[in-house]
Amino acid sequence: MNVLSKTLAAVAVSGLLFHSTVNADTLEIGLLTPSPIADVGWSKALVDGVDAVKAKYGDKVNINIIENIQEGPDADRIMNKMVGDGNEFLVLGSFGFMNGGLKLAKRNAKRTFLHASGYKTAKNFSPFTAKYYEGAYLMGMAAAELTKTKKLGVVSAFAIPELISTINGFTLGARSIDPEITVDVIWINSWFDPAKAQDSAKALLAGGADILFSNAQDTPSVVTVGEEGGAYVFNLNGSMKEYAPTKYLGVVKTDWAPFFVASVDAHLAGNFEGKNEWLGMQDDVVVVDDWNADISAEMMAKIEAKRAEIVSAAVHVYDGPLINQEGKEVIPAGERLEDGAILGMDWHVEGVNSPLPK
Amino acid sequence: MQFKLDRRVHYSKRMLIATPVIAIALAVLVSSVLLVLLQKPVLLTFHSFFIAPFENFYSITEIFLKFGPLLLIAQALAVGFRAKVWNIGAEGQMIIGAITASAVPVYLVDSTSALLLPAMLILGALGGMGWAAIAAYLKTRFNANEILVTLMLSSIALQILYYLLLGPWKDPMGFNFPQTVMFQDEALFPALFEGVRLNTSIFIPIIFTIGIWLFMEKHFGGFKLVVGGLAPNAATYAGFSSKKAVWSSLLLAGFAAGIAGMSEIAGPIGQLQRSVTSGYGYSAIIVAYLGALNPIGIIFAAFFLAVLQIGGDVALVSADLPISAVHVFQGLLLIFYLATYTFVNYRLRIIRPLTHSNTKPTP
Repeated sequence: MNVLSKTLAAVAVSGLLFHSTVNADTLEIGLLTPSPIADVGWSKALVDGVDAVKAKYGDKVNINIIENIQEGPDADRIMNKMVGDGNEFLVLGSFGFMNGGLKLAKRNAKRTFLHASGYKTAKNFSPFTAKYYEGAYLMGMAAAELTKTKKLGVVSAFAIPELISTINGFTLGARSIDPEITVDVIWINSWFDPAKAQDSAKALLAGGADILFSNAQDTPSVVTVGEEGGAYVFNLNGSMKEYAPTKYLGVVKTDWAPFFVASVDAHLAGNFEGKNEWLGMQDDVVVVDDWNADISAEMMAKIEAKRAEIVSAAVHVYDGPLINQEGKEVIPAGERLEDGAILGMDWHVEGVNSPLPK
Repeated sequence: MQFKLDRRVHYSKRMLIATPVIAIALAVLVSSVLLVLLQKPVLLTFHSFFIAPFENFYSITEIFLKFGPLLLIAQALAVGFRAKVWNIGAEGQMIIGAITASAVPVYLVDSTSALLLPAMLILGALGGMGWAAIAAYLKTRFNANEILVTLMLSSIALQILYYLLLGPWKDPMGFNFPQTVMFQDEALFPALFEGVRLNTSIFIPIIFTIGIWLFMEKHFGGFKLVVGGLAPNAATYAGFSSKKAVWSSLLLAGFAAGIAGMSEIAGPIGQLQRSVTSGYGYSAIIVAYLGALNPIGIIFAAFFLAVLQIGGDVALVSADLPISAVHVFQGLLLIFYLATYTFVNYRLRIIRPLTHSNTKPTP
């Protein structure tokens, strides 16, 4: 009983001591991530982004990170608590935080919200998405040179436009070099399920694929399977080269720093405007890196030339002619797929074998 | 050396009431050590867990938002557990309830009828019962173990949910995201107060609890159910059906879990999405046992667990605790509670290996 009363007293005192943690002069920035923050992966890329904000503003900002939060009613409460604790600028790191985050944004007009991978906007609520397909296109070119079976495999999270357009970009890049190449996709419906991702990767290898693409998996699961199975492998968001020292094809990195810093600038200046932020290589958000030494110099030159063309907008990954899985022409030669059609993409290009989950 | 637990003939009532207090003290003590090792603020953590949930009105309403489904499911499960029907698949019954209830707003997107909500309630209850009925049928017809069946049915329920969200029920304007349309206001429980998520569905568990209490304590049917579980032979001899116990236990749990699932999608979530249960189906098992399978005890247990979960969320944000540390603390609390409870009700006896002709129990 004595212990208890002491504890209770201590707890009560702590209530007085720690009540106010918010300093009016510093900007409190909150980051909510859907998976644990590891050395690599999606969540880590977001952390690197807010760290860049910290590097610029120093003591003027304070970063609060809450990791590994599942979408759902609990996430809504945690976001609510983050706002209640004084976070003025929130980065919501998963599409599952969209509806809860948007409600919160509407109630808190003076706070700024950045939301990953979504499609709804408000005055103070910007969804942000990377044009992964640009980087994946270049990876496809490299894959086309290295594949012997002409079969490429993709382990993919959710069949949302962001990921579908990335697979299509990869396929278009590969088939621009060798039109006989086909792509198989396994959808595992999770950002973070190492066991399932590995099983799927092994199944793809068993099916004859000798290049693997880990599409939005937050663990090195697929990358390690590639190394062990002797298949070249690449992934998104952050380099996982150390998990596949010999077979790492490269990385389609996302560097959120420029975008996060610009958004914080705008928030502090009072002119933040919520809009659909769709960022690619020309914004320095999508960066391709860590190319495998097995890629020939000739191919690297081709890739670099293509990269320059995409950055300068001379060419676009989704320039016509584009043919869908059913063999029907979607966009004729000389035309370009509209942004809206890419942002809402729900079809595969010719060359992808697997049907989309419908 | 062997250990044996003997049931105490006379146990201290005072100790029984002190049990939760001792458990909390022990959990606080052990996790304090862990927090110091993690270099996290000890006092702020416990403040987050036990004080912060009560610090403002919104937070208190959130406790009740969690309390509702926990109470509802745990009350129903406890009836089954007392009848020795081990339904651990309330999670799946909850998912199916959420699905069947969602059919209404998914197919009647434009309806503003006042009958939407009652229809969803009925469908949710029927869905949960239907799912539980599979286990009841397999148990009574083939004597299939209901622990395995209900657990595996939960996995199947989850896959059905994913199928619907990725396929026929996907929001056509939702860019292929695995979720349905947001439900219209008429398909949602009205909020109890402005600006909070707690809604009128909270009355369902309360009414249900009163019903269960009356049934178990005052009604002969409750007695029959318990006897059927404790001594099936005696029950058969007395003319009570143990099959009936299986059916009624599972249907009751399916009913409650189905409504709980419906209350989530027609409450804080407002649509059908991949995570609809918040793990209530499993947490409710803990609640049922924490409450000693007693309708009154379960009220306190559900409230306690709700506070603990809200407190855990606060600790994540305010005390910067990693989510696994939150789970460790919650786990410690439950383990210490169950241990303390056991030692109040049972005496530990150490049996030494035979050295002489007879064993002597140590005092």
